[in-house]
Amino acid sequence: MFKFNSKGLSLAMTFVMSLGMSWSVMASDAPAPDKVPEKVVTAAAADVFGVAVEAKAKKSTADHSKFKELDVNFKDGPAVTKACISCHTEASKQIHKTTHWSWDYINADTKQHLGKKNVINNYCTSVPSNYKFCTACHVGYGWEDENFDFKSEENVDCLVCHDTTASYKKLPGLAGHPNYKTIEWPPHSGKFKAPVDLKKVAQNVGKTSRATCGACHFRGGGGDAVKHGDLDSSLTNPDRYLDVHMDAKGLDFSCAKCHTSDSHEVAGSRYAPTAKDDKGTQIRGSLEERNAATCVACHGNVPHSGEFAKMNEHTDKLACQTCHIPAYARGDLVTKMTWDWSTLGDLDENGHRKQIYGSEGKALYDSKKGHFTYERYVIPEYQWFNGEVEFTLADTVFDPNQVLKINSFKGSANDGKSRVWPTKVFRGKQMYDKVKNTLVVTSLSDDPETALWKNYDINKAVEYGMKYAGKEFSGEVGWISTEMSWPITHMVAPKEDVVACHQCHRENGRLAGIEGLYIPGANNTPWIDKIGFAIAFLTLIGVLLHGLIRFVMHKRGG
Amino acid sequence: MMKAVVGFIIGIVFVGVVGWNMADTMMLREVESPYGVEETAARIQRNIQGLSANGWTLSGLRNPSKAVAKSGTNVPPVLLVEACSTKYSGPILKDDATRILSILMPCTITVYKKDDGKTYIGLMNAGLMGKMFGVGDIMAGVAKDQEIFVTFDPKKPAPPLIRVQPGGGGAGGKAGDGC
Repeated sequence: MFKFNSKGLSLAMTFVMSLGMSWSVMASDAPAPDKVPEKVVTAAAADVFGVAVEAKAKKSTADHSKFKELDVNFKDGPAVTKACISCHTEASKQIHKTTHWSWDYINADTKQHLGKKNVINNYCTSVPSNYKFCTACHVGYGWEDENFDFKSEENVDCLVCHDTTASYKKLPGLAGHPNYKTIEWPPHSGKFKAPVDLKKVAQNVGKTSRATCGACHFRGGGGDAVKHGDLDSSLTNPDRYLDVHMDAKGLDFSCAKCHTSDSHEVAGSRYAPTAKDDKGTQIRGSLEERNAATCVACHGNVPHSGEFAKMNEHTDKLACQTCHIPAYARGDLVTKMTWDWSTLGDLDENGHRKQIYGSEGKALYDSKKGHFTYERYVIPEYQWFNGEVEFTLADTVFDPNQVLKINSFKGSANDGKSRVWPTKVFRGKQMYDKVKNTLVVTSLSDDPETALWKNYDINKAVEYGMKYAGKEFSGEVGWISTEMSWPITHMVAPKEDVVACHQCHRENGRLAGIEGLYIPGANNTPWIDKIGFAIAFLTLIGVLLHGLIRFVMHKRGG
Repeated sequence: MMKAVVGFIIGIVFVGVVGWNMADTMMLREVESPYGVEETAARIQRNIQGLSANGWTLSGLRNPSKAVAKSGTNVPPVLLVEACSTKYSGPILKDDATRILSILMPCTITVYKKDDGKTYIGLMNAGLMGKMFGVGDIMAGVAKDQEIFVTFDPKKPAPPLIRVQPGGGGAGGKAGDGC
C-alpha cells in the first residue's frame, strides 16, 4: 500500500509543483499553445523557399532582388561582398572587430589569450595547421594559413549569416568558400554537390535566423549536435516542448532576439559568460554595457509572482537554467558525450579506414578519430559558476596523473557572484606531450604528408602541428584524460516542464554533492534529527501512559 | 471461537495488504540497463530475432514520448519494443475462453530513461500473468524467452535500431499482422 501511496504522492507533488512554477516563471508572457500570435513566417520556419522570400518581402524595407549591383553572375564570394559593401560601407569594418572574424580573444579578467585559433579543446583539438578545414565556419573567405589577410573587406562573408535560401553551404576543406564548381562530397562518396548560385543567394539576403546561426553553432565539434548538447539542428524548426522561446509555431525567437547585436558585435560569449545577472530588465535604448542575452535582461530579477513567489528565493543560488532546462539533447538528435582519440588508427583487413556505427546510426568508432559515445535527453551536471573560466592553454604544464580540465568553471557558494549552473561535461582522451606535460597542436586535415586523417600517424601529425604553431615538441606523444564544461542555456522547456521540487528536495536529488547549498529534504543535521525523533518518541510514550492511566482509573472508579 | 474468527479476519486483511503492496512488483518487473535507450532497444530486438526458432518476430517499435512531445511537453525517452510468437499466441487465440487475452498482444518490452539519467527495461511478469489467466504453461515459455531478450552480451557491438512499423490500422485483412 505504501508503495502505491508514495508514487501517487510523488506524482501529485510533481503536478502541483510544476503547476505552481508554471504560474509565473520565465515564459509567463508566453501565449498558450492554442493562442499562437499571428505573425509572418520567418525564413527559418519556412520549409519552402518561396515562403521564405514572401516572408522577407513582408518584413524588409528593401528587396535586394531589385538592386542592379546584385544582378550579376558572381564568380566567387568576395565578389558578392564587394557588391554588398558598395552600399553597406561600414559592414566589413564592423565585422573585423568581432571574434566571429578574428577567432582571437583576450579575457580582460584572467588575461588569458583565448579565441578559436588559440585554444586547444578535446573535440578536434586545435585550428593551426587545419585552417582549410576549420574555417568552413569562419565568417570570411580564404583563411587557409597564417598569412590570411584580416584587413581585407572583401574577405568578409556576408552570405553565411544573411542567406535566406538555405542553399549556401561552406564545406570543410575549402577555407571558408562555398563550392563554385560541382564537387564530390563527401570525398569518395560518389555523391556530387552542385555549385552555389551566388546571384540567387545575394538577391535574397535577409536577417539572420536560427538556420544561419545554426549552420555553424549547431555543428560545433565536427557535426550536428556534437559539441554543446543544447544546440543542434532540431532547433532550426523546434516544437514548443523543445524550446519555449524558439517554438516555430509560437514565439519563434531567432537567435538574435536574445543575442542582440550592435555594429555586428553579438551579445553573449562562451569565453566570458554572465553567470549571475542581477541588474534587472534591460530597457530598450539603454546605454548600459551588459550582456543582453541573459534571462534576467528580459524577465527581471523577480520573475515569479503570486503563490509561487517562493521560487524567487532560489534565484540567489540557482541559475534560471538549472530549473528551466531539465535536460539537454531533448530533440531528435543524440549529442556526443565522450571522444577517445587514443584508439585511432585501427584499420580493416585491407588497410582501409574503419567506421563502426551504433544503434542511433552515429559512428562509435572511426579509424581517423577513435571511439565515441552519445546520449539523448541528458540530465546536466551541476556546478557553481561565477562566469570566470580558466583554460588549459598550449603552454600550460599539468599533472598527467590527474584528469585534465580543458576549462575550469570558477565559483563557490560564498563568493557572492556564483550560481549553480547546469553544464554538459564532455570527456575525452587526447594527445599531449608526454615529456613536457603540455597539450599539443595536431595536424589533422590540410597537409597531405602529415595530416592524421590522411596518414593515421599520430607522431608525424603532432610533430608537424607543433612546428606549424611554433611550439617545442619533445617527440613523445602520450594520452591524457580530459574534461571540458559547457554551460547549458538553450532548450528552455515550457513552464509546466521545469525541474520539479522533489527532483532536488530529496536525498540524492539532482543537486546532491553541490557544496555550500542547504536543500530541505536533501540535507539533514544529525543532532536536530535526533532531537526530533526523541520528541516524537516521548510524545508517543506520554500518550500511551496517559491512556493507560485513564483506563486504570476508569476501571477503579467503575 | 470469537478469537479464532478475529484472528482469521486479521490474517485475511494482512495478506490483502501485503498482496496489494506487492502487486505492482509482482506483475511488472524493472531492470536497469547498462546501455542507452536506443542501444538497449536495439539489443533487445537482436535477441528477439535470435529466437526466431520459437516463432518470435518483431512487430513494432513505438515511441510514445514523441507523441507527448508533439503535444508540447517533455517526457524522457521511452521506446516500446513489440514482438510476437505464433507458437505462443496461436493456442491462446484458438480457444474461446482465452481469446480475450489477445488484449495483451503483442508482447511489449518498454525501455525508458528516469530522472537519475539511467536506462531501465520494463517487463510484464508473463509467468504469473499466465497462471492468473489459466494459460500458465504457454506463458511459462514466454517468460523463459523474455529472460533471453534482456540478457545482453557486451562483447557484441551495438546493432542498429530496427525501426519496424507497428501493424497498421484498418479492418480485417488490412490490419497489420503483428499477431
